[in-house]
Amino acid sequence: MSSLKSHLTLILALISILFSIFLFKTFSQILEKYKQNIIDNYSIVIVSTSTLSKPDIDNLGELEEIDIKNEIAKLKKKYKNIDFSNITMPHFYKLKLNSLPSPNELINIKNELLNKPFIKKVMTKSSSQTKIYNLLMLLEIISKTFMYLIAVLGFLLIVKQLEVWKLLHNERMYIMELFGAPFWFRGAALFKIAFIDSLISLIITFGLIYITINSAIFEKVINDLGINFEINYLNDFGILFLISFLISFLSSIIVVIGKK
Amino acid sequence: MGKIVIAENLSLKYENSEIITPSSFTINSGDFVFLTGVSGSGKTTIIKSLYGEIKPNSGKLMIGEFNLNNISKSKLALLRKHLGIVFQDFKLIPEWNILKNVMLPLLIAGVNKTDAENLAMEYLSRVKLSHKADKFPEELSGGEQQRAAIARATIHNPVMILADEPISGLDEYSASLVMDLFIKANRLGITIVIASHSIPSNFSINFRQLHIEKGKVYELS
Repeated sequence: MSSLKSHLTLILALISILFSIFLFKTFSQILEKYKQNIIDNYSIVIVSTSTLSKPDIDNLGELEEIDIKNEIAKLKKKYKNIDFSNITMPHFYKLKLNSLPSPNELINIKNELLNKPFIKKVMTKSSSQTKIYNLLMLLEIISKTFMYLIAVLGFLLIVKQLEVWKLLHNERMYIMELFGAPFWFRGAALFKIAFIDSLISLIITFGLIYITINSAIFEKVINDLGINFEINYLNDFGILFLISFLISFLSSIIVVIGKK
Repeated sequence: MGKIVIAENLSLKYENSEIITPSSFTINSGDFVFLTGVSGSGKTTIIKSLYGEIKPNSGKLMIGEFNLNNISKSKLALLRKHLGIVFQDFKLIPEWNILKNVMLPLLIAGVNKTDAENLAMEYLSRVKLSHKADKFPEELSGGEQQRAAIARATIHNPVMILADEPISGLDEYSASLVMDLFIKANRLGITIVIASHSIPSNFSINFRQLHIEKGKVYELS
């Protein structure tokens, strides 16, 4: 019973750590893609007296000139008494930024652009952008804090497990040492437990991940956000596999080395 | 006969107090030695120093070619592979059955499992425990556990067996069986060092007695 308990402790600890790492990665990926979505659909409109090129806007992003011929044609039709040939029209540009700016960064960008003599006006969707940005940051902070907490709890469980292992295996390892057993031989039983427990934890974690990413709620959230979420099974599971084995083997090595 | 243990002005400390004051003694290969003294005289301390559990405080201690004053972990492990150790509290691995306990030195030496099992069964039959091979230590009496411990201590043909109060707490019959096993091992050429508060009255073979008194080791003839 106590042996089963000691297995469960490590398995639970590993699952919580692995799953929090997976959630951390998934949240980061979703947030990054969502930010990219916003950036793709977000632009600053610049009105300039002269034509602009990338160096004029300090390489802040992609510059695209807005074609105003149609708009002028409409105006000409509407205001027939105005002689448009005497009016010099400014150039209109869409600036697609490289990254999603914070509200402060956005103000700085705007001021920087307005400092240039040929730029007459800069239009941003600052209020809606600020709301989205703040919401994303809040989500990121909450999710990361939550995941750090789970990981810390997992590590605390492992520390507890190390104490249990020391009690359970100390005598056997001491006797083996008296007969000249090498390090790997003394730790063999622990290494075996570590291997089995990490394997079980991995299987359960993979199961949880599978259920999570195939759940209706998860799919709905991804669809609503309009992002394309995908798991790189080989890479992501490979990382979890390595972390799981590393944690459990390091724990068992600590017990074998720390034998009193 | 070559000297297997050389102690020159050996002083041993245990928990910061000097238990053995500078003493010199030697043990020859093939000797049967009783290490005697009253309780707390330092018998266990000397036995522990012989298997490297306690390092010399001063003086010199050699076991064969191994200098125990500054022995590395790997060399200590190598030395211990050539020793057989018997403890008063048996030190059998509780979660292993008797057969596997006896196999331990062979498994450490890298002998394959089947050969180790066969040899362990043979040694268990020598100590009259083959019928209890699959029992766990807690299912055996003290005398039986000690016999199993002796089978474990001899199975790898060690050069020396160190036994710390091996018959203390055993009934007369079990004590006699255990001593017979040591005698048989000694007849095979294994050096035997037994820490004991007294020497069995009916002990029949030649032996040496190293006596500890007030921290000094003396040879009694």
